[in-house]
Order: sequence, then structure tokens, then C-alpha cells
Amino acid sequence: MDTRDDERARTPLHGVVIDRDARRLLGLAAGLTLFVAVAGGLGRAGLGVPGAGWHGPLMLGSFFGGVIALERAVALRAGWAYTVPAAALLAGALRVAGLADAAAWLGVAAAAGFVAMNALLLKRDPVTHTALLGVAALAWLAAQWSAAIGAGDPLPWWFAFPVLTVAAERLEMTRLMRRRPAAAPLLALAVAVIVTAAARGSALAYGAGLMALAAWLGVFDIARRTVRARGLPRYMAVCLLSGYAWLAVSGLAWIGMAFGCPGRDLALHALGLGFLMAMVMGHAPVVLPAVTRLKAQFSAAFYAPLVLLQLSLGLRFGGWLQAGALLNAATLALFAATMLHAAWRWNHRWTTQASS
Amino acid sequence: MSGFAYQGPELLRERVAAALQNVVDPEIALSIVDVGLVYGVTVDDEQTTVKMTMTSQACPVTETIVDDVEWELGRVLPDGSAVEVLLCWDPPWTPGMMSERARRFMAW
Repeated sequence: MDTRDDERARTPLHGVVIDRDARRLLGLAAGLTLFVAVAGGLGRAGLGVPGAGWHGPLMLGSFFGGVIALERAVALRAGWAYTVPAAALLAGALRVAGLADAAAWLGVAAAAGFVAMNALLLKRDPVTHTALLGVAALAWLAAQWSAAIGAGDPLPWWFAFPVLTVAAERLEMTRLMRRRPAAAPLLALAVAVIVTAAARGSALAYGAGLMALAAWLGVFDIARRTVRARGLPRYMAVCLLSGYAWLAVSGLAWIGMAFGCPGRDLALHALGLGFLMAMVMGHAPVVLPAVTRLKAQFSAAFYAPLVLLQLSLGLRFGGWLQAGALLNAATLALFAATMLHAAWRWNHRWTTQASS
Repeated sequence: MSGFAYQGPELLRERVAAALQNVVDPEIALSIVDVGLVYGVTVDDEQTTVKMTMTSQACPVTETIVDDVEWELGRVLPDGSAVEVLLCWDPPWTPGMMSERARRFMAW
């Protein structure tokens, strides 16, 4: 067994030990960013909270950018990579401080750094899903650049970044199922439509691309198998499948906007909350412990914020925007509390009566 | 194809296999043995070495899986035996390495 080319899983890289405290600090900063971004969202919904102007950039640029870049930095196991999520989160802080220009250009730098991270990853692992992660990174750079120079509409690019990141990760998972030759080309088509639509500012094509992606996920994703498992895998699958439904709704609403139908709030938040937040809630019980090295004990309590999310979205899109937005915020707060409780349960698993 | 290459005391073979079977990737509800991620285990007097891979290098949960491997093996190995996990990307994981049970679960 030649071990020279294998990596010791525990060896410090390049002589620098990856400090878990730095990771936890970045995780905390991401959580704080989310809190401030949600507050801004409540402001945008007319609830008298400051920060309406920073809701979008903080949520899509700093929060999702910071969290995705942090995950990738952990996967890359390279010290320099942690500067990328740090920059994304710092850009958020600058924006809140009123330094919009500095925030915008730091955001561009963060995205450029993220593209470099993905180029390195692609070099190490030249496979399709890694290339798609690279496309997602380029979408983030396009959004940051467009926002910084004030040209074009960055919104479709902002959303394309986390959406295509999810698509890439789900594509990777499909390898566990029987190979279906149509899967990769069909996904490539959906991605091409989304990217072209963002570049040309076509709401019709963008919505169609989102719907095509939702259909692809419904047909090819492993969630249809793992939903038959129990415990955490089933919960993750339920989050994923609920998200895919909202992705389709968002696509439809986006198409509706192209025809002049009112539905901007539906389009944006079916995507941002119904789809993306469901992805976050589904993956957090696994990814948060991986990044912060703080273990958590899964339980059925995790279903409560997921159910509340559905109710809050129904309220919001059913005509009660402000009540719905408040309940959206409460959902995220409940999710944070559930995660903290899960960490507490892990620490006390030997000293409390076990109840699942 | 299922299982992994094992070198070491016969007495520990089943215990090591069972321990590794407990390490589950929660995203896919399958153990790392069933997915085919464990390439080999060598047990000698001082140290147990696990040679394994992951399905993707882009995945942040690698360390968590490695933690679980160390913890599960620590429970079945003699006291004082060190566990070292080596991450191996060559040969890269392919779906053909999945066990029969894994394929059934994924409806192959």
C-alpha cells in the first residue's frame, strides 16, 4: 500500500493548522448577517425596521456567498480560502455601515477569490459537477460585478449562484443511482437556459429554466429514494422535495412577470425562502457540525420549522404579506433555536433520559 | 463489489467491519462500507490505518465522516491502539464500488 500520495486526514496543511475557532467565528458572522438581512427584509415588507435597502445584497451576496464559500473552504482544506467567506461577510458589514461602494468592490473581490477556489477544485477533480460549481461561482462574480458597476440587472445572477450550487451538489448525488444517460445533458440544458436568461435579462427564459431545473430534480434526484429512509436522511429528503416544489412555483411566477402579472414577491421568495431556505434547513444538521466541529443530535423537532415555513409562505403569498413576512422571520428564529437545542442534546446525551 | 481489503488479526475483522458499517453518510442513508468508500484497513500492534475516499472532493463533511470512523474504531480496538485515516483520491470512487445492498436501496 503506497501511502505517499494519500493525504493523512489529520495532517495540518502547509504547516498551518486550520483553526476551528476561525471557522466558528465565520459561522457566527454568517448567522449575524442572516439576522440583519432578515431584519432588512421586514423593513422592506413595511414593518418599520431599518435596512430595507440592504436586504437583497446581504442575503444573496453576503449570507449565501459567505456560507457557500465557507463550506467550500472547509472542503478545499486550504488556509487562504477562508479569506473568501471573510471578505463576503465583511462586505455585508460595510454595507450596513453605509459604505456601499467599498462593500460592492469587496464583494467583487470575494467572488473573484471564490472563482479561484473553484478553479483549484476543478484542477483536483475534473468532473462535471465540479465544473457546474465553477459556473455557479462565475454567476456570483457576474452578480457582484453587475451590482458594483451599476449596469444590468444583477438579480437573476444573484439567485443563479446558490441555485446552480444546489444543482451541482444534487448532480453529484445522482451518481449513487443507476446511471441514466439523459440526466447530465438535460441538466446542462436547464443550466444553459438559466445562464443565458440571466445574461439577456429575459424573465420568461429564466422562469422556464427554473421550472426545467425543478422538473429535473423531481425526476433525477436521490431524494425520492432517501425519503423512504428514517430519521435525518428522511428529513433532508422532505426538505429537498418541498424545496423543489417551490422552485417550480418560483419559475412560474417569473414567467408570469414576463407577461406583466404581479408576482415579484412570489417569484423572489418562493425561490429564496421556499427553495433556498429549505435547502439550508435540510443541510444544516449535517453541514453546521462539519464546519463548526460542534456535534448536534437530530430529532423530529426539526420538522417544526419546516412546517412553519410552509404555513408562513402560504400566508405571505395568500395576501397577508406583512404577517407572512413576520412568520417567515419567526421560522428562521425557530430553526436557529432547534439547531442550538440539537447541539445541547448532543452534549447531554449521556445525562438525560433519551427520548426521540 | 462489497467489503474492503483487511489485513490484521482475524479476531478483529468482523468487529472492524461492523464498526465501519456504523459510519453512515446521513445525506444518502448508506454506510461508507456500502457506498464503497473504504478501500482498506490494516491493523497491527500499534496502529490501525484506514485507507478511504469520498464521493467528491468538494464536500465539507469529510472531517465529520473521519471523526466517526475514528470514534467507531476506537470502541472496538484494543485500548491504546491509534487510528489513522488516509484520504485516497486514486483510484477515484465510482458507482461500481457500491455494495448490493446500496444498489437495492437506490433502486438499481
